[in-house]
Amino acid sequence: MNAPADTIAAVATPRGRGGVGIVRVSGPLVESIAKAMLGTCPAPRYASYQRFLDAAGEPLDEGIALFFPGPHSFTGEDVLELQGHGGPVLMDMLLSRCLELGARPAHPGEFSERAFLNDKLDLTQAEAIADLIDSGSEQAARSALRSLQGDFSRVIDSILDDLVGLRMYVEAALDFPEEEIDFLADGESLSRLDALLDQLQEVFRKAAQGTLLREGLHLVIAGQPNAGKSSLLNQLAGREAAIVTDIAGTTRDVLKEQIQLDGMPVHVIDTAGLRNSEDPVEREGIRRAWAEIERADLVLLLIDDETGFVAADQQILDQLPARLPVIRVYNKIDRTGHEPGVTDDTVYLSAKSGIGIDALRAKLEAAVGYEAGTEGLFTARRRHLRALEETLQALQRARRQLVDYQAGELMAEELRQAQAQLGQITGRFTSDDLLGEIFSSFCIGK
Amino acid sequence: MKYPESFDVIVVGGGHAGVEAALASARSGASTLLLTHNIETIGQMSCNPAIGGIGKGHLVKEIDALGGVMARAADRAGIHFRMLNRRKGPAVRATRAQADRVLYKAAIRGFVENEPNLKLFQQAVDDLLMDGDRVAGVRTQMGLEFAANAVVLTVGTFLDGLIHIGESQHRGGRAGDPPAIALAQRLREMPFRVSRLKTGTPPRIDARSIDFSMLETQPGDEPRPVFSLRGSHDDHPRQMVCHITHTNVQTHELIMEGLDRSPMYSGVIEGVGPRYCPSIEDKIVRFAGKESHQIFIEPEGLTSNEVYPNGISTSLPFDVQYAFVRSIKGFENAFITRPGYAIEYDFFDPRDLRNTLETRFVPGLFFAGQINGTTGYEEAAAQGLLAGINAALQVQGKESWSPARDEAYIGVMVDDLITQGTLEPYRMFTSRAEHRLLLREDNADLRLTETGRRLGLVGDEQWALFNAKREAVEQELSRLHDTWLHPARLSDAELAALPGAEPTREYRLEELLRRPDMTYDALMSVAAAGPPVTDPVVAEQVEIQVKYSGYIARQREEIAKLQGQEKTALPDTIDYADVVGLSHEVRQKLTEHRPETIGQASRIPGVTPAALSLLMVHLKKIASRKQKKSA
Repeated sequence: MNAPADTIAAVATPRGRGGVGIVRVSGPLVESIAKAMLGTCPAPRYASYQRFLDAAGEPLDEGIALFFPGPHSFTGEDVLELQGHGGPVLMDMLLSRCLELGARPAHPGEFSERAFLNDKLDLTQAEAIADLIDSGSEQAARSALRSLQGDFSRVIDSILDDLVGLRMYVEAALDFPEEEIDFLADGESLSRLDALLDQLQEVFRKAAQGTLLREGLHLVIAGQPNAGKSSLLNQLAGREAAIVTDIAGTTRDVLKEQIQLDGMPVHVIDTAGLRNSEDPVEREGIRRAWAEIERADLVLLLIDDETGFVAADQQILDQLPARLPVIRVYNKIDRTGHEPGVTDDTVYLSAKSGIGIDALRAKLEAAVGYEAGTEGLFTARRRHLRALEETLQALQRARRQLVDYQAGELMAEELRQAQAQLGQITGRFTSDDLLGEIFSSFCIGK
Repeated sequence: MKYPESFDVIVVGGGHAGVEAALASARSGASTLLLTHNIETIGQMSCNPAIGGIGKGHLVKEIDALGGVMARAADRAGIHFRMLNRRKGPAVRATRAQADRVLYKAAIRGFVENEPNLKLFQQAVDDLLMDGDRVAGVRTQMGLEFAANAVVLTVGTFLDGLIHIGESQHRGGRAGDPPAIALAQRLREMPFRVSRLKTGTPPRIDARSIDFSMLETQPGDEPRPVFSLRGSHDDHPRQMVCHITHTNVQTHELIMEGLDRSPMYSGVIEGVGPRYCPSIEDKIVRFAGKESHQIFIEPEGLTSNEVYPNGISTSLPFDVQYAFVRSIKGFENAFITRPGYAIEYDFFDPRDLRNTLETRFVPGLFFAGQINGTTGYEEAAAQGLLAGINAALQVQGKESWSPARDEAYIGVMVDDLITQGTLEPYRMFTSRAEHRLLLREDNADLRLTETGRRLGLVGDEQWALFNAKREAVEQELSRLHDTWLHPARLSDAELAALPGAEPTREYRLEELLRRPDMTYDALMSVAAAGPPVTDPVVAEQVEIQVKYSGYIARQREEIAKLQGQEKTALPDTIDYADVVGLSHEVRQKLTEHRPETIGQASRIPGVTPAALSLLMVHLKKIASRKQKKSA
């Protein structure tokens, strides 16, 4: 069997704030990645204490580096392990650096797959590897789907539309020169290309500001007035962020609070009591609440356990966007005497006394995608941004081809590359899809 | 009666696929019989009188590189040559020629009749002879049985063909020729998946009834391109000019009025037509906002008064055709010599083929051309050549051959067909090739001729010409690499004439040529950079290879990464129900397509990277078990 020609990298330890986190790299580029990140390739199979360097030569972290030359390694290929301080942000930076240096993110189960294909694992483990690939890719697909929600998804859709539009234009000019649609003669391609570049650069401005990658989970706490939303927020945040009173409609504005779940930021949005009101200030609060809900990843619908799930709760539920996962949180069990507990989509707790709060936290951690050993939202988003970076670079080269060389086919080639990169997020777009776009937009054919 | 002599390979059909199939088989040493219902129509161009174009010209050059005859016939018949996309880059540049039908057919007939291992016989084929699962020959209309070890079917639109003109239909394989109904029925009894496609032609017009003085002229290109490596301008007959006219609002109104009697719109036609070659009624309905459509007036030949008005293919009733044609500028008094028509025909789902174009269900039986759902002379010829050579290789007990997607457009086409199938008549476009920068017209011979020689397809004369070109290119490339040019060796006039920024230090000639505005000719205007090569074909090749080296290297890297997948075979015996972890959907798709390699599987829509990983693990598991057993 042929050895895979590319180098893969992944975080090998469970997500979270654990003491040590490991980034594992396997493939032919391992030595060069080690040299770039450590200054030198460590001696085979010896643990050495090293600084892990970024592109500018500044240390990102320090820790233990291990180099296992193939075939005497887990995968049978050259393998590098970087053991640094845990924490998702740091792990992500180390992983990103490896990707910058030519590795690609590993698919679920891919290290084991390579180990198996290179005779490093026993035949009896084949089924287990198949399971790992299967369940891992399902999990990855779920995380990818979550990454593709809200603003981020809208941006991707818009970039995809514009890129397909531009390619359609360019490819039509190349394949149908007699149809009098010549993109080189007019400024149309360039302005379309520039618009695309602007959109992508905007994505990276946002990413740099941390609003895209580090935003974590957007959690909305919704519910009827006085269901205990502010108390719950205070419990999760650990301090008095919202005013808690017994008067319904106290929380008039949308309150944001950032809490930590295993080192990852979670934005909790406490919404004003969602009810019909005559008070203009309160109405504004309610309007903002709905705007927040539109952008959310997950909703906690808070229900007063004393009254149970009533028609008004159903009303709120009906108004929520159908795509949003909802967890029903029955509050005030300190008064009803209900046992604290968790099922698939319900939690029983007391925001006032704190009973059941830990169970909710655990549930949220799962929702953020911190399941051990598999790909969570954070990794998915990182992977998506990485693909967008490659898309941007290809588009910049396309622009150079168009402006400096007027080389139609080379610009087309860069656009194809751009789409192949974007396709890692949006799914494959075949040449036949492209031809379909051309034929439905232009009247082609002698 | 059983014909006393038996053959290695029988090719059924004398169209563009059949001709290349028969010649390829015969050239590689197999005794070959070409059976056609009419020897006089061998090499007939039944649609528009042109060869080449974007993507298609590429195929013609590849056929030439593999010893085929289409390019040589086009050189002998071409009366108007163009090089399309001249300024958009070498990979999308394509040769196209209007061909004189009579000269083209005569050239093809000459090649076919002079091939030593090839015999012709005139009889329609009605049935296949079988030996168990395997094909063993054919039976003709009069009951004559020919035995052969392999059979290539290239029956075009003749399988159960149905011609539509307005509300009338009749059975036919092409206007004026009978359809192959008995053979179609026989094939429908086999487990192949069959569907219907549609194609159409415009009404032909007598040139003497056209007022050309009102029309835009389109001369051929200068320098005039040549199709074949073995061809030259001396092969070309007298050149003609073409003309262009347009439909107008009145034309569109007349067509709309007749639409209720169109078989396309009354639901009589069930076959799917091509999106890129719509009938004029289709264009007007689908692009209602467009007030005018181009019509290319293509001459049918030097000795014919007929013209082919390309752009108004139609199946409208004749009275509507008559009226709308006469509404077009220059056609006011047009005399229609043959009505336009649409034809529906059977095709077989190409997913039932191997990459050699052998059918999966009947060993020894090969399909090529429109029977596989393609359209176009060039697509048909390329498949014919591939099927013919593989039929011959199989009979001779040799290993089969099929080019990869990064080697040839032929490879792209066959891979598309067998992995994706097709819903409309499949035509080649350069955008179908992901390695487009590597698959150029100019390097078709460098990509394929060596293989063609090994397969016995390339004769001594072509081989010598090719080697001379290849060596000249290599020598010049190494000279440009090894020769340094210091600016001090250039005169002021030379420096001024050199495009781009003035060189400030010593450069390799190769580096200078790589600059954006530099051309080979400009560089060679510097005395110290000489002596240049004299053959413009060699100079062009050197320039392209140097200028594109970065992109070529990148595409090669991409290809290298996928080599593992492309070379990992999926055995015929694999049961996808046994592969742990595959989703139901993927399992169904793989069972339906039965890909031959992991690479093919990766191109089936819906097959995920995770599914490929699971397949790899499964293959390894099978291999390890086998190893254990034998140990």
